[in-house]
Amino acid sequence: MKFELSEDQALLQSSTRDFLSSELPLEKSRTVMEHNADGYESAEWRRLAEMGYIGLTLPAAAGGQDLGAIELAIVLEEMGRVCVPGPFLDAILAASFLAAAGKQDALLADVVSGKSLVTIARQDSPFSGNHLEPTRFESGRVLGTKYFVPFATRTDALLVTTRQGVVLVRAPYDIVPLQTIDLAQRFGKVTFDHQGALIGGPELLERVDLLAAVGASAMMLGLMSRALEVTLEYVQTRQAFKRPIGAFQALQHRLADMLLKTESTRSAVYRAAWCLDTGDPDTALACATAKAYAGDASRYVCGEAVQMHGGIGFTWELDLHFYFKRAKTLEQFYGSTETQLEKALAAAGY
Amino acid sequence: MDLQLSDQHVMFRDELRAWLKANMGRPWREELRDPKATEDSMIELRRSWQRKLYEAGYLGMHWPAEWGGRGTTEVEKSIFEAELSRADAPPILNVLGIGLLGPALIHHGSEAQRRRFIPPMLSGEEIWCQGFSEPGAGSDLAALRTSAVVDGDHFVLNGQKIWTTFGPWADWIFVLARTDSKDRYGGISFILVKLDTPGITVRRLRQITGESEFGEVFFEDARVPRENLVGQIGEGWRIAMTVLAFERGATSLAAAERYGRDLGLLARTCKEIGRESGAVREKLGRLLVENEVLRANGLRMLANLADGKVPGPESSIEKIFWSEFDKRFRETALDILGPGGQLVRTSAEARLDVDWSREFLWSRAGTIYSGSSEVQRNIISKRVLNLPQEGR
Repeated sequence: MKFELSEDQALLQSSTRDFLSSELPLEKSRTVMEHNADGYESAEWRRLAEMGYIGLTLPAAAGGQDLGAIELAIVLEEMGRVCVPGPFLDAILAASFLAAAGKQDALLADVVSGKSLVTIARQDSPFSGNHLEPTRFESGRVLGTKYFVPFATRTDALLVTTRQGVVLVRAPYDIVPLQTIDLAQRFGKVTFDHQGALIGGPELLERVDLLAAVGASAMMLGLMSRALEVTLEYVQTRQAFKRPIGAFQALQHRLADMLLKTESTRSAVYRAAWCLDTGDPDTALACATAKAYAGDASRYVCGEAVQMHGGIGFTWELDLHFYFKRAKTLEQFYGSTETQLEKALAAAGY
Repeated sequence: MDLQLSDQHVMFRDELRAWLKANMGRPWREELRDPKATEDSMIELRRSWQRKLYEAGYLGMHWPAEWGGRGTTEVEKSIFEAELSRADAPPILNVLGIGLLGPALIHHGSEAQRRRFIPPMLSGEEIWCQGFSEPGAGSDLAALRTSAVVDGDHFVLNGQKIWTTFGPWADWIFVLARTDSKDRYGGISFILVKLDTPGITVRRLRQITGESEFGEVFFEDARVPRENLVGQIGEGWRIAMTVLAFERGATSLAAAERYGRDLGLLARTCKEIGRESGAVREKLGRLLVENEVLRANGLRMLANLADGKVPGPESSIEKIFWSEFDKRFRETALDILGPGGQLVRTSAEARLDVDWSREFLWSRAGTIYSGSSEVQRNIISKRVLNLPQEGR
C-alpha cells in the first residue's frame, strides 16, 4: 500500500505543472477568459494535444496514452490550480464515449490530435427540473433542444443524449451562447432538427459519468489547494492591529478547517480514481462521494478565501473570483451534488 | 499510488475475521441492550473479552516480542481495530493502559516496570486509568497542580484529578504530578499509583448519559514508592506528549466501519417506517458521503503507515473529522427518526438495533476528550500551517 504518487505519476505532476506555468499561466488565461468569446485559444489547444494531454486516458490505437483515472486526476488537479479555461475534460469525456462505443474511429483520432472538438449534449432544460420535453431521435433525425452544451460554438460534432440512445450530430447547428459566472467554461443552447447516427446506448454513459465525477472533483481539488495557499500567504503578510491577520485565532481555526476539507477531498478524489482504475467494487460509491464532497468543500474553501482577503477579495482584479466561480460551476455540472447523493445512496443499497 | 492491502495484510485480516467468527460472543450492541446488563457486568464482560484477545496474541502485537509483540506494525493494528469495529466486538477495556501507558513504558520505563506492569495490563487483570486532567487543567494541561514531594524513598501526592475514564473500576492510575512548582513543563513527572493506596479516594461522576464511566481521584498525602516514577524526575511532560501522539493514531477506518454499520441500519429503518422523502434522502446521502470520506482518509493513513510514514500533526485532521462527524451523524439520525429516536434503551418502544439516544449523547464527548477540536485546530494552525501565534 502507498498513497503517494508513483515515480511516473510524480513526474507527470511536475511536468504538467511546469508546462502549465509556462504555457497557460493565469495572467494569460485571464485575457483569454475576458476577451475570447469561445473561451480558449486554438494554438493552446493544439499544444495540449501535441503534449498528449487530450489523449491521456484514451486507447493507444486512437493516438492516446492509455493511462488511468489517477493520471487524469493529476493533470486536472494541476489545471484547477491555475484555473485553465477550455473544454479539456469535456473533450476527454466525449472521446471516452466514442472509444467505448467503438465507432467513429476517425473522429476519435481527430479529437485526440486536437483537430476536432466533440462534447456531450445532455441537459434538456436550463434548470434542473424535467418540465420540458426530452430530446428524441426519430427516423434518423434528432429533434429537441439541449442546454448547457459545453463549448458548443467550437464543436465539430456533438454526442446528443436522447430517449433512444446517444446520437452523433455533425455541425453546423443553431447555437445560442449561454454564459454562466464561470468564464473558464462556455456553453450553448443548441436546437436540433438534424440528421444523426445512433452510436450507443445510455449504459455507455455510466463509465463516462464516473470519469466525469473524478475529473471534476480533481479540478476542484486543484482550485481549493491553490486558493488555500494564496490565502495562507495573504494572512501572513496583511497587517491589522499591528500584527499579521493570520495571528488571529478567528482566522486560524477556519484555515485549519480549510486544510481539513482540502486534504479530505484529496483522499476522496484519489481513492475514487484508484477504484476506477482497479475496478474496485466500491467504484460507484467512491466516485459519487468524491464529487459530492468536493463540491461542498471547494465552495467553502474558495468562499472563505474571498472572505479572508476582505475588500480586495471582492475585486475583479484579484484572481480569486475565478476560483470561486469555477468551484460553483463545477459543483453543479458533471453530476450535481443532488445527483451524486442519489447515486451514492443507490450504490450503498440504501 | 496503491490502496490495495498487501497479500500478507489480507492474510492477517482473513485470519482475524475467522478468529472473530469462532470466538466472539454476541455483538456489543446486543450485549448493551440485554435487560440484565449493568455497568459492572459490562466491565466484567469486557475484561474477559480482552483476556481472549490477549491469549490469541492480538494485543500489543506491534510491540517488541518480549512484551507480546509478533513483529507486526501499525498497519496490522489499524486493521485489527477496523475489523473489531466491523464485527461490533465489545470495546477493549484496558484501552488507556494499552494505548498510552504501554508505549510510555516501552519507550521510557525501566526493565523492572515493564516486567511488572505490561503482562497484567494486556491480560486485563489490572485496569489502568489516566490521571492527566484536573479541575484547573484541561486543554491547558501544563497548568496542573497535583504535587508530588520526595520524602525518602517515597513521593507524597496531594491534589485532584478529574474526568478520569475508568477511574471507578481501575486498579492503577498513571499520574502527571508537579515535582517543581516553578518550571511549567520541566517540573512535571510521570508516576504510577495504585488506587488502593491510603490517602486516595475515587468518586464516580455521573455523565450526561447517566453512566459513570469517568470519575475523580483525590490524593491526600498518598505515599507512592519512588520506583514507580517513569523516566526521570521532570520528564513527565515529554513522556506524556509522546504517548498522546500514540493516542492520535489511525482511527478513521475503525470509525468509518462503526458509523457505516449504524448508517446502514438507519437506512433500513427509514424504509421500514416510510421515511423516504427527498429531505430525508438528502440527509442520508450526505451522511453516507461524509462517512465514505472518513473511510478514504483512513485508507490514506493506512497506506502511509504501510509505506513507512510516521503520522504527524495531520492526525489532528482525523480527530476533528471523525468526532465532528459523529455529532452531526447522531443528531441527524434523531432528526430523521423523530421522537422515537430519543427513547432510552430501557423504554417501551425503543428501537433495538442501535441505541440512538445514547449515541447522540456520547457523541458530545468525542470533540472534548483527548484534545478538544479547538486544541486540534490550534495544533494544525501552528504545526501544519505555520501561522504566527496570537499575541506573540
